[in-house]
Amino acid sequence: MSRRFKRRRGGGVRVSLSEPEIELLRTIPGELGGVLSAPPDPDDPVRTRLFPRAYLDPTDEDSEREWQELVHPELVRERLAALELLTASLDRAKHAKDSASVDLTPEETEAWLGVLNDARLALGTRLGVSEEPDVEMVEEDSPEAAGHAVYQWLTWVQGELVDALLG
Amino acid sequence: MTAVPVEVEPVETEPTETVGEPELDEDQLTDRPWLVIVWNDPVNLMNYVVYVFQKLFGYSKEKATRLMLQVHHEGKAVVSDGTREKAEADVSRLHAHGLWATMEHPA
Repeated sequence: MSRRFKRRRGGGVRVSLSEPEIELLRTIPGELGGVLSAPPDPDDPVRTRLFPRAYLDPTDEDSEREWQELVHPELVRERLAALELLTASLDRAKHAKDSASVDLTPEETEAWLGVLNDARLALGTRLGVSEEPDVEMVEEDSPEAAGHAVYQWLTWVQGELVDALLG
Repeated sequence: MTAVPVEVEPVETEPTETVGEPELDEDQLTDRPWLVIVWNDPVNLMNYVVYVFQKLFGYSKEKATRLMLQVHHEGKAVVSDGTREKAEADVSRLHAHGLWATMEHPA
């Protein structure tokens, strides 16, 4: 398969994906939107990974609370807006025989990058991935096998997008 | 961080450039700066972290790569410093990009 992302003159990238890949990307906003919009839950590792503390010192609790009140709604709003940009750009993809392509603006490109990263953070945290892919030998018929396969695919796609941007 | 799918080339020599180094102004000299720290995590891609450091802080590719490798090998790195307001703004931008960042005021 040819490269999934090509940098465009003047900014943004051209995306070329297979139809199953497009369909997989379409499922992300539904999955991630719910996680992002849910009320804060300090016991949910996915939430605490997507929205970490700012103040390291536990005695800075007042500063932490003030900071969270100030920035949390904006962080949620930005991430939800990125999900909408992803969906909108997928909607205007041009479909060929087995693949589809779409030109992304710089803003949409950043949105894709952010969504891919958030999806990996959420899924990777839920699956408990480690830095060593070798220890993640998952039985093919285990309940988590599908999640690991999606995670690996997201990793490839995001890595390729960053490579295209770093050029 | 994880290296999939690309290995970042190792930095061979200690970079000598200082472009982008935070400069201390008068206030910060009398009032020690807050430090913004990025912590290692198993999900974020090495090339993505380099990209974010370059984008948010305007660091050269060499400096961004050096900081990313420090996070990867030592578990954390100070990526910026300054007033409390600047540190809060930097942390929120890093969180918006999915990096695990905190701030502290060393004694």
